[in-house]
Amino acid sequence: MSKTAVMSVNQAIARGFWEAGGRVATSYPGSPTVQIMESLLDYPDMTSRWAINEKVALEVAIGASIAGARSLVSMKHVGVNIAADPLMTFTQVETVGGFVLVVGDDPGLSSSQNEQDTRFFTRFANIPLLEPSTAQEAKDYVDEALVISEQWGTPVIIRLTSTLCHSQGVVQLGQRRDEPVEGFNEDQARFCMLPPYSRDQQHFMQQRMAALRELSEVSPLQQYEESSNLRCLIITSGISYQHLQELGADVSILKLGMSYPLPVQRIGELAALHQQVIVLEELMPFVEDELKAAGLAVEGKRYFSFTGELTPDDIRTGLIQAGVIPSALTSAAEDSHVVGRTPILCAGCPHRPIFHILKQAQAVVIGDIGCYSLGILEPFEVLKTNLSMGASLGMIQGVALAQRMAGNVKPLVATIGDGTFFHSGLSGLADLVNTRENITLLILDNRTTAMTGGQMTPTTRDFVKDEDLTGINLPELLRAFGVEDVQVVNQFHYDKTRRIIVSAMEHQGLSVIIATRPCALNFKLRYPHYYVDSDLCISCRQCIAVNCPPISMRAEAGTEEKRSFIDPDMCVGCSVCSQVCPVKAIKSSRSQEV
Amino acid sequence: MGTTSIWLAGVGGQGLVLTTRILTGVAFREGWDVKATDVVGLAQRGGKVWGTVRFGTKVHSPLISRGQGDFLLSFEDLEGLRWMEFLKPAATIIMGRDVIFPNRVLLEKEEYPDNVVSQFRAQGFRVTALPTKTMAKELGNARLANTILLGNLSRHLSWQLESWEDVISQNVPPKTIEGNLKAFAQGRKLVFPGESPPEDRG
Repeated sequence: MSKTAVMSVNQAIARGFWEAGGRVATSYPGSPTVQIMESLLDYPDMTSRWAINEKVALEVAIGASIAGARSLVSMKHVGVNIAADPLMTFTQVETVGGFVLVVGDDPGLSSSQNEQDTRFFTRFANIPLLEPSTAQEAKDYVDEALVISEQWGTPVIIRLTSTLCHSQGVVQLGQRRDEPVEGFNEDQARFCMLPPYSRDQQHFMQQRMAALRELSEVSPLQQYEESSNLRCLIITSGISYQHLQELGADVSILKLGMSYPLPVQRIGELAALHQQVIVLEELMPFVEDELKAAGLAVEGKRYFSFTGELTPDDIRTGLIQAGVIPSALTSAAEDSHVVGRTPILCAGCPHRPIFHILKQAQAVVIGDIGCYSLGILEPFEVLKTNLSMGASLGMIQGVALAQRMAGNVKPLVATIGDGTFFHSGLSGLADLVNTRENITLLILDNRTTAMTGGQMTPTTRDFVKDEDLTGINLPELLRAFGVEDVQVVNQFHYDKTRRIIVSAMEHQGLSVIIATRPCALNFKLRYPHYYVDSDLCISCRQCIAVNCPPISMRAEAGTEEKRSFIDPDMCVGCSVCSQVCPVKAIKSSRSQEV
Repeated sequence: MGTTSIWLAGVGGQGLVLTTRILTGVAFREGWDVKATDVVGLAQRGGKVWGTVRFGTKVHSPLISRGQGDFLLSFEDLEGLRWMEFLKPAATIIMGRDVIFPNRVLLEKEEYPDNVVSQFRAQGFRVTALPTKTMAKELGNARLANTILLGNLSRHLSWQLESWEDVISQNVPPKTIEGNLKAFAQGRKLVFPGESPPEDRG
């Protein structure tokens, strides 16, 4: 009996790459696929590393592939936008070492700014698409993808979705196969995408897709289970297939392991056997539209939402509506109102004093992507825009221009973290240096990519004393870009930070402030906790307004009067609340107060 | 055997992911097919987190349908309440009493419910409410609270003690193995017919 283990789909992707003789893996962290690289980093005999952004990650993997190494690159759905430029041209190149791009979509937006459907990229880029539905399949499909890639000289995309990425199941483990790397064989016609070469490649791509269409028709990745009554055929893929199985409906199922290109001919034949054909797919009607375009009478989005995840409950409801399964009485508990729980900046988070200051200063803030996006939520509500990685630096220029045209001369502030700044803020900065508008850029340099679990950035070195770590000196970089007004602050010195921010907001032209406190969570920073001296507290709620998880109002025993209270177990001693208290009622538990 | 479904509910930072992994590991070791999931991402910032573990002869979906959960492991009162509709009538709820105010309660815009246990009972669920936070602190490590809960859950599952102990030992930091096994044993022997008093309440 072969060895088995329980692992998540993300972990199974990593295992599959290792077993398949993978050599080079790259990624940029983004939910729901972070754990793929975290797992890859544990495997020997191959090189796995985080890149500065998805575009660079993809390019590293492309380089490794054309030099003959089996390569994998993983990212979240919106990362593909950043990487789309090399991807759209690389797809014209006949790959050498197997190349697989693993993408995690986020139906339901559990940790993303949009819900884009990567399947459309596969059609746009002429790339075959595999969609596993379990951890076992995730592992197997990596090998399949690499084989398809090498056989047809194509990149292959494996698409996962949030719940699938984190779902765990039993996986059969195999041994690692040796896949030697042949090295770079120079071949301009193959690797220089410029006419006349790239003109020829259009035909190469077209022939490749024709061959892959034939493969899709006969591939064992397409699994068909026939019901005895031949009434309804459901075409589905990914996690939806597993949810559907759970319902135990008496239907035929075509599970697409390869969902682009579609096996249109086979589906046509199967459709002809059934009275009703339903496409069960999350997000956009990608399969449904393609089948309708092929002249097949199928239904889908009539019964299932175009947005959010489809849970087993949603699928049951849709199939009841479609008359496929009988309606059933459910005996669930009544749905009562339960107070919501939105994410909140951690205790001791260095972003907290910055948002508090910006709110007091009534700043108009152009936001960016990271933990500091939480500045959008109450009680701060200071970020007025949130779009995509690094977008704040370009957008703020445009807002400033149009504001001037509208006669509004309020100063503008942008906030961006170190991870996002190095990911895609540098070119925005280069374009912003000579601005004459009143723009203040706050770089929240917490020395980590915090939102995705604390991966390193080029400024991690300043905080982690490790001689081997290379890094980038942020103030020097800004000066080298030609920024004249650069200031560095420790934002736990509240008053000083406030003065610097306010004076930068008065300064015409570009001011850059680097706030240097590191991430409290990632670096596990903890100092003696603070407490409220309830004899001094005047219940003014200034400390509540800094919005730290340990601080709440609670009634003193035997009274109705509420005083501020700090939970000593949660407080990490950053001192910010004590600095905003107007009556100095918040004190350190250190024996000698600071 | 049909599928048994366990829902886990808590707040980011409470260690739900590790608890899910342990539970999944023991089910697997006991020879069951198993599917599980946990929601991570933004949740790291004090948001709501939940997980599922489903085991049986053959399990397809990691998700639990409304009204289908057999057990709820609640790490925080409000979060336990949130997923009630996913439980079967007369499901078993094992609560580690803990209260972490969500943002709107911190900001005094909404009230934290003060009758979570009675809301569960009113629905006909079987509730065991344990002061796991206090018990864990008495054992010298607040992070042992979840293991006490697992210990109590183990009373309801006919799995070998050895499987639990092995999987816990493989998954917790080596220095905490002894403490975790002690916490598990405590949870396993606890029978709380009545409600325990809420702690750390204002």
